Amino acid sequence: MPGLLKSAFSRYWGVLLILILWQAWVTLGELNAIVMPQPIDVVVDLVTNPGIYLQNGVQTLALAAGGLLLGMTLGSLIAIACWFSRLATGMLVPLAMIFSSVPVVALIPVIARLLGYDIRTVLAIVVIVSFFPAFVFTSAGMRALPPGSEDLFRVLGATRKSRFLHMALPAAVPSWMIALRLAAPSAVLSAMLAEFLMGQSGLGYMFRAAAGDFATERAFGTSVIATAVSVITFTLTLRAERAVNERWR
Amino acid sequence: MIRISRQRAQDVAYGAIGILAFLALWEYIGVNQLAGLTWPPLSTVLAYLFDPSRQALFTRAMSASFSMVGAGYVAGTLIGVVLACVAHLVVPLREGLGRFSSVVHSIPSIALAPLFIILLSKDWSGMAIATLNVYFIVFIATQSGLAAATRAHHNVFTTLGSGRLTRLVRLEAPAALPSIVSGLKYAVPAAFIGAIIGEWFGATRGLGLLMVSAMQNFQIPLLWSAVLLTSAGSLVSFGLMSLVERYVYARYR
Repeated sequence: MPGLLKSAFSRYWGVLLILILWQAWVTLGELNAIVMPQPIDVVVDLVTNPGIYLQNGVQTLALAAGGLLLGMTLGSLIAIACWFSRLATGMLVPLAMIFSSVPVVALIPVIARLLGYDIRTVLAIVVIVSFFPAFVFTSAGMRALPPGSEDLFRVLGATRKSRFLHMALPAAVPSWMIALRLAAPSAVLSAMLAEFLMGQSGLGYMFRAAAGDFATERAFGTSVIATAVSVITFTLTLRAERAVNERWR
Repeated sequence: MIRISRQRAQDVAYGAIGILAFLALWEYIGVNQLAGLTWPPLSTVLAYLFDPSRQALFTRAMSASFSMVGAGYVAGTLIGVVLACVAHLVVPLREGLGRFSSVVHSIPSIALAPLFIILLSKDWSGMAIATLNVYFIVFIATQSGLAAATRAHHNVFTTLGSGRLTRLVRLEAPAALPSIVSGLKYAVPAAFIGAIIGEWFGATRGLGLLMVSAMQNFQIPLLWSAVLLTSAGSLVSFGLMSLVERYVYARYR
């Protein structure tokens, strides 16, 4: 037990430090609860109103997951379609690289104007954000073949279809998992940002409403839930990536 | 050699065709209003952007935003490199610093922005978020780079009796440089995103402010111009960092 505590401390002293500084800041600065709530008030609000957090959290998570799935499917399918045509790859890959080096989040206002101020915009943003990593990494993965495999397939007289099914597609799986790991946290983040800017529900909107009403415990509680959701997403995708890599390599 | 360069030329040509096709499509959709009034043709946006009467507006917004991006980028890089070195040198702190960084990184920007508005001021929260975004990427890149020096090199340094600091400066730092520069490249869009998000929360000037107010007031060309300027800024910086990256890879790897 003490060993467990010690290892937990050596991992999480930073988080503990934040909490202590927060409490000290509120106590020493004698801040009003409207400016800055105490950690304990936030916990109380979280425990006494689990329903509202759960409902909005689940909605944001569902939107992020749905958008992630759609965006990654779309990105992978287009990457696969491009594998059959060098021209299409040559045309689309640089464009996709440009888009992934541009702050896509800046497109939220544009999409909002195009689709309207509702859930569709949130979903569209998540789809766009997830599309580019999926496309870029799947295309790269289908070309990063194990050395010699291309020659082997050619020597064995493999058709284009079997080269695709048995060579390129399996080779793309590890890169695809990287894309998933990169896209998942940003899917959650961009869903929340889009909700903050124009949604009518979800964690992002809840945060905005709470901050607008000076309900700071509620606003900070939302942040805590949002952070937990991001950490869980990141950990899950990291685990998935490791599991797949172990089986695949 | 000749074959490789021909393939390279083909890649560049295809890429250029793709980008031109994209721009043409944008123009076509805009001219024919296929996506409604909110999708202006590229030429309209460019004309709006380069209109002399709006030069002052855009220059002011750009200098505000880009200075926040730049300051956040520099601050984030410094913090990231220093903390990674600390984590590398002081083993008991290593695990905790890594966890701390990933938890801080997972706190969504919309939750941090109001905090920074209280802590700093409305106009500096963009820089603070950019700093945090950059710091995390640089921290991870530096940490993995510092572990990149080979066993054999370490053995040489041990045999010659070098101190911890000499080893860091002469061996580990040069070995880490490629990884750090790659991290710096990927930190560019993150810095821009941070600054823009910060400005959405009530900065008094900047491209992010232009975007939000243009969105709410239905000023479509203004909205697209602000997005275009931000993207161009990010793209140019990203391109510059790619050049630096190429040089560093050739020299240090």
